[in-house]
Amino acid sequence: MNAITLIARDELRLMRRNRVTVIAFALLTLLTLAAALISWSHQSGIAETRARFQAQAAQEFTAQPDRHPHRMVHFGNFIFRPLPLLAAFDPGVDAFTGNSMFLEGHRQNSANFGDVRQSSLLVRFGQLTPAFVLQVIAPLLLVFLGYGAVARERERGTLRQMLVQGVSARALLLGKLLALAIVAALVGLPALAAFLLIAGQPGALAGPMAVMVLGYGAYLALWSIIVILVSALVRRGRDALLALLALWTVLVILLPRVAPDIAAQTHMLPTRLETDIAIQQDLHRLGDAHNPDDPFFTAFRQKVLRHYGVDRIEDLPVNYNGLLAVEGEKLTSRLFDDYAKRSFTVQQAQSRLTDDFGIISPAIALRRLSMAAAGTDLEGHRRFLAQAEAYRYAMVQQLNQLQADTVRYADDKAKDAGADQRKRISADHWQTIPQFRFKPATTGDLVEASLPGLGLLLAWLAFALLALLPVARILQKARA
Amino acid sequence: MSLTATGQRIILSDVHLSYGSQRVLRGLSLHVDAGEIYALLGGNGAGKSTTMSALLGFARPDSGTILVAGHDPIAQADKARDQIAYVPENVALYEHLTARENAAYLLALAGRHPAPQDIDGAFEATGLQTSAWDKRMGGFSKGMRQKVAIAIALLRAVPVLLLDEPSSGLDPRATADFNRLVHDVARRGAAVLMVTHDLLSAADIADRIGFLESGRIIDEAAAQGADRFDVRDLHRKFAREAVTA
Repeated sequence: MNAITLIARDELRLMRRNRVTVIAFALLTLLTLAAALISWSHQSGIAETRARFQAQAAQEFTAQPDRHPHRMVHFGNFIFRPLPLLAAFDPGVDAFTGNSMFLEGHRQNSANFGDVRQSSLLVRFGQLTPAFVLQVIAPLLLVFLGYGAVARERERGTLRQMLVQGVSARALLLGKLLALAIVAALVGLPALAAFLLIAGQPGALAGPMAVMVLGYGAYLALWSIIVILVSALVRRGRDALLALLALWTVLVILLPRVAPDIAAQTHMLPTRLETDIAIQQDLHRLGDAHNPDDPFFTAFRQKVLRHYGVDRIEDLPVNYNGLLAVEGEKLTSRLFDDYAKRSFTVQQAQSRLTDDFGIISPAIALRRLSMAAAGTDLEGHRRFLAQAEAYRYAMVQQLNQLQADTVRYADDKAKDAGADQRKRISADHWQTIPQFRFKPATTGDLVEASLPGLGLLLAWLAFALLALLPVARILQKARA
Repeated sequence: MSLTATGQRIILSDVHLSYGSQRVLRGLSLHVDAGEIYALLGGNGAGKSTTMSALLGFARPDSGTILVAGHDPIAQADKARDQIAYVPENVALYEHLTARENAAYLLALAGRHPAPQDIDGAFEATGLQTSAWDKRMGGFSKGMRQKVAIAIALLRAVPVLLLDEPSSGLDPRATADFNRLVHDVARRGAAVLMVTHDLLSAADIADRIGFLESGRIIDEAAAQGADRFDVRDLHRKFAREAVTA
């Protein structure tokens, strides 16, 4: 057995014989297991609820009686975003962005401009999930278990004794590191069990899961190295503990909270009220379909009449009101899309700036990786909104087209006693409108999105490993 | 190197060593032969600890030659340390380990893997009570720790033993026990260099005593006859050295 293995074994023996260490380790293991089970159960519950409500909403939509198509446009439809499987490990922004939307004509979902998505700052608070335990609590345990690994040897004089035995400082550092890395691996085991639970589910994606395992492994290895480095550089164990706690506070707690605030201040989003006013002003500028002198809609009317070769709206073979609804929806949707894009551009800038803080905080780099691989990051939410809007537009335009094709213009205008019945079309038409089916990101998309975070973590790891070399040289002198 | 080999095991020749602008060793020269016990006697700031650090390879001399069992402790640190057993003033051992585990661990780190009965034999040789062998080191007295350290030195069977203030804090009985152990080690052929400011202990154990003052040997005395040293004479020399230091 070489010196590295001997030192690692002794360090683990010391931990085993320390009751506080054993209790702390057992508690974290239990916490991770509990987090995995709670999170799994919670996410399963949410998934089941959403599936049930989605089915109920679809049933209510298709069960509507014969109605005027425009009534159905305003009856609208509820859709729900199904959770990705890995949300049980890292729910990401899910809890803060909302996953249900009411889709109707003339307007996009209200969540699109909601205050809750003003920025990503609201999504960074910890929940008891395996991801939170590994990102926040596990490094703290490594700090408490490892702060004295080298400092203790120096403080008690055994460092010099060890070096005199012919052990190199590099072997000492690697031995201590190996011990702490083994502890880190054990800390990660319950989370790995949760992963295996997820992997057994249909639809589990191996690629993102592999990236996550790699990322969390690199993160815990990095913290093991940081702990050993500080322990080797600081003369007393107490000082090492204080320095490491300060580092943990800054890297894991402070920066992940401050970074989104800075991003929100740097790239400010307009408030919902400002956005609503701006949209109303733009809508007003678009024109008024009910105003016979409105230049835009007058031009539209002339174009339609020319197209069908008639002089009057009443002579059109289709319902002009339906065509007007199609055109109006096209215009308003373009406007809403434009606002949504602008909003997302700002939010993406916020996210990018927050992610850039990963250069100075590995916890941010890991969160980026974890949420991206789980499909629970802002991009995952944007994907849902984009698909929801595409579905809403298609549904509303299909209903508008039904109005144009199946409801006569004269009936649409009529106000006599039987007019209401004549305006209605068969409920069978509601069956022809497809149900919303969310298309989740592919393995390739998720892996690609998580690679920048992984790259940052690996760069951190390489930097920390290189830092061991000069620290070993300093330690080798062991004047103390 | 075998313990029965003869020759100079420790050589310091015209060694100069400074910490920044502070010159600590100024032309220190001494040698210790196999089987010899050399006491380096000096007051505070004479350079005793620096001499020890230089021999262990923790302090680099500005000039001069240091050889430990034929190896330069800086340029050939691994080889030199492989030949050294070192007992510091406060023996540093692992408190979470028992005496047996300490010996096995530290010896394994040095690449030695003695059989359990050999460790027991070494403990017996040092006079460490049997009841202490499987106790964790937390409650050990300084004397008991030194016995464990000497047992490890015996098991390593190295040709050089360095002792740093070995009698400090020991009662007379423990000092006598310790001196007997050191004699045993030397009798097996090891060169023993101890740095101390305890004149009586040095007189009791050493074959030669060097008086260190301001980083160099200013006088040397060798044991002669049954009385070994004239303690009064030693005291006179030491007092003069202490006054001039």
